[in-house]
Amino acid sequence: MEGLAQDIFAELIDDVCLGLCFEVHRSAKCGFFFLDDVDAESMQEFEIVDKAGVDIFGQVYNQCKNRDCECPNCGRTIAAARFAPHLEKCLGMGRNSSRLANRRLANSNNSSLNKSESDPEDNDDINDNDWSYSSEKKAKKRKADKNPNSPRRAKSLKHKNGEIGSGISDIMKQCGVISEHTKKMCTRSHRCPQHTDDQRRASALETEEVDVDGYDGVENTSYEPSCLWDATSDTSPTDSVSSKNSESPPQPPISCGYDGCGISAKDSVSHGVADDADPEGTTSSDSKKNKKSHIQCSPIPAAQTGMVACSGKKKKRPPTPGSSP
Amino acid sequence: MTSRRNMADFPDRKLSKDAQLRQSINQKLIENGERDRLKELLRTKLIECGWKDQMKAHCKEIIRQKGLEHVTVEELVTEITPRGRALVPDSVKKELLQRIRTFLAQNSNF
Repeated sequence: MEGLAQDIFAELIDDVCLGLCFEVHRSAKCGFFFLDDVDAESMQEFEIVDKAGVDIFGQVYNQCKNRDCECPNCGRTIAAARFAPHLEKCLGMGRNSSRLANRRLANSNNSSLNKSESDPEDNDDINDNDWSYSSEKKAKKRKADKNPNSPRRAKSLKHKNGEIGSGISDIMKQCGVISEHTKKMCTRSHRCPQHTDDQRRASALETEEVDVDGYDGVENTSYEPSCLWDATSDTSPTDSVSSKNSESPPQPPISCGYDGCGISAKDSVSHGVADDADPEGTTSSDSKKNKKSHIQCSPIPAAQTGMVACSGKKKKRPPTPGSSP
Repeated sequence: MTSRRNMADFPDRKLSKDAQLRQSINQKLIENGERDRLKELLRTKLIECGWKDQMKAHCKEIIRQKGLEHVTVEELVTEITPRGRALVPDSVKKELLQRIRTFLAQNSNF
């Protein structure tokens, strides 16, 4: 047994030696076996320096720290510590430089647009449109200009809907219904199937911040007496609404869409406001908006009610929807 | 020390009991993984005691003598192995032998 143990041990040693030989042979042939060897001359040359004020190579401290670099872009000599931020701005890369540039662009745009918006033509438009669209445009545009390219595009998109430079040609021809979920204006056309005219008026009115429960609009003398409700009350509850509305040519879409009833949205508040007198009113969620507006002025599509009642009263609230003239 | 009997000594004859025993034990050693463990242990110990550095220095001398281009693995092995065996410190040898004996004692009865 002892012999066996010895033999086993001897075999193990042989294996280890063989492994060592392989290792040495490979390193010798690859050329890194003799790297540790040093001769006396190089030993002295590269000896470790142990003096004070000097590092182990014998070099003095602080020499490299004050090196100035030459910017390859602008050619200026910049201190090494300030070189990286300078390059960032000089080359226009990096986070902060893009933000700065955007801000500058926004400011310049804003200032140039402020001049154009004060044109007399635009002022006229402001007066004409009771929806005071341009003022809204201005307010929204300023907000958007803060961060035109920022990550907050979801919000600024909302404002873009009202921007002058937006891709949509004429904003007055948009549907304009502001969705409750996304707070965005619907940019589809006036005939967009998702929104009814009532919603359009409602959205317009809500942004108007008119006291819909008050009687302010009632005293409006610009009210056209020729509100021919009877003549047009026989519209079918289906899509003829939109067609009717489109027939009234120069009216903004948010006015009372009936032919001949050319009351703009602002006035239309009084046009048939009956939030309390509308028991048979629309039951859908839109009805809440509609209640505040003069829903009764339009033939509400069948989905909502079959009721058509523009009472057409001037100074009084219409008593009930059913008692329309 | 008893004479070593290699397998090569019994090429055509039926293996003797001794040889059979050796064979079976070796097999067990390998199957168990004990052999590898022993080898690793030996390597570690030899490095710790400096045996490996000594051997490397010896190799350097040999290579310098023979010239780098002509050195082969076989030459190295034949030169180095006797020296390697001789240079193993006794403590290492003793410990390993101890372990081998323990293993033999445990496994020879199966």
